[in-house]
Amino acid sequence: MRNARLLSGTALAVAAAGALAAPASASASATPAFAAPAPAPVGGLEIQPATVMPGSAVTVHTTACGSGGTATGDASAVGAGTFTLAPGARPEDVTGRFEVPPSAQPGTYEIVAKCSGSGGAAVRNKQVAGDLVVTITSTAAAAEQPRPHPRGHVKTGVGGALGPDPVQTAAGVAALAVAAAGGTWLLHRRARGDRI
Amino acid sequence: MRKRTGNAVIATVTAVALCSGAWLLTSGTASHPPPQPSSAQAAPTRPGAARPDPGTAPLPPSPPDRVRIPAIGVDAPLMGLGLTRQGSLDVPPAGRKNLAGWYEAGTTPGERGTAIVAGHVDNKEGPAVFYELGALRKGRTIEIERRDGSVAVFTVHANEVYDAKDFPDEKVYGAAPRPELRVITCGGKYSERTGYQGNVVVFAHLTAVR
Repeated sequence: MRNARLLSGTALAVAAAGALAAPASASASATPAFAAPAPAPVGGLEIQPATVMPGSAVTVHTTACGSGGTATGDASAVGAGTFTLAPGARPEDVTGRFEVPPSAQPGTYEIVAKCSGSGGAAVRNKQVAGDLVVTITSTAAAAEQPRPHPRGHVKTGVGGALGPDPVQTAAGVAALAVAAAGGTWLLHRRARGDRI
Repeated sequence: MRKRTGNAVIATVTAVALCSGAWLLTSGTASHPPPQPSSAQAAPTRPGAARPDPGTAPLPPSPPDRVRIPAIGVDAPLMGLGLTRQGSLDVPPAGRKNLAGWYEAGTTPGERGTAIVAGHVDNKEGPAVFYELGALRKGRTIEIERRDGSVAVFTVHANEVYDAKDFPDEKVYGAAPRPELRVITCGGKYSERTGYQGNVVVFAHLTAVR
């Protein structure tokens, strides 16, 4: 929703506040995103995890491309080339993934995404960016930095296994129908005086 | 003579159809709750009582691609999972029943620390990837295929079920001094209104690398 307000470009104050808020939200784990080169990205590119070791996969999200949009990501700064962002779980969200090469050097890299697709003229070719920090395995600091861990229970079931099994029930009905037909036929035979 | 044989065949078919039909209907319409771990599969109550097995030396980080649990017939690809807005672990799309996920901002399986894998117990259509997880016993193995080509083999040391209202975050997700793995799915009591009321959590530690 913030993006929609920003796009309308009615109030400078709103735009300024948004530009400040965007990098802050893009850096959930204390990445110095404020160091991103100007102009500050509008909407922002959320990078998860924001701090990685060489060889690991990174997921990026942005809501800047509008509903139904797609985007092309550029992670060539860190040597990972370009990648595609496709609509994710929420309609306004596009998401993509790339892998930091095992040979990547520690440092802060800018990851860029350019909107394309049917997001509308307002967002076409719009560019958003976020910072990715690469650290190396052996640094004690990286190991000591507590990674956020999940909280609470996980929603991994709806109870669909608890109800009746439709296939088995249908097979049972079919088998009983066969039994009924066979039984009827045998009774007819008997009534006609045939020996069974 | 031929007629008699024909009658005997039909009588047999009828009897078999009657029995199998009855069995199919009874078991097909019955409720099949997923298995739940027994108290015998719980972790020892006094943690200091037995010194934990230090396990195998940790591996360098490498994302996992596949999970296999031979004892309960699991062989599924893994996708990366993040967190929900509430801070709980996200889950794979429910439509794909043979797909599990791992918490990709956390420890990779085989690395020192606690790696987390989660998958559905069921979806609307029926049982899913971790339906049998509650039946997994201590001592059984879980294999994780990693992108670097290695296979991290974990051995189960506990299988417990927790209520969502009293979920032991630190015990399940907290740091570990050795490479450990948690495999999580839904479990506990089931109510029509709220669904499953807890989670089955399998605790395992690295014991071999192939």
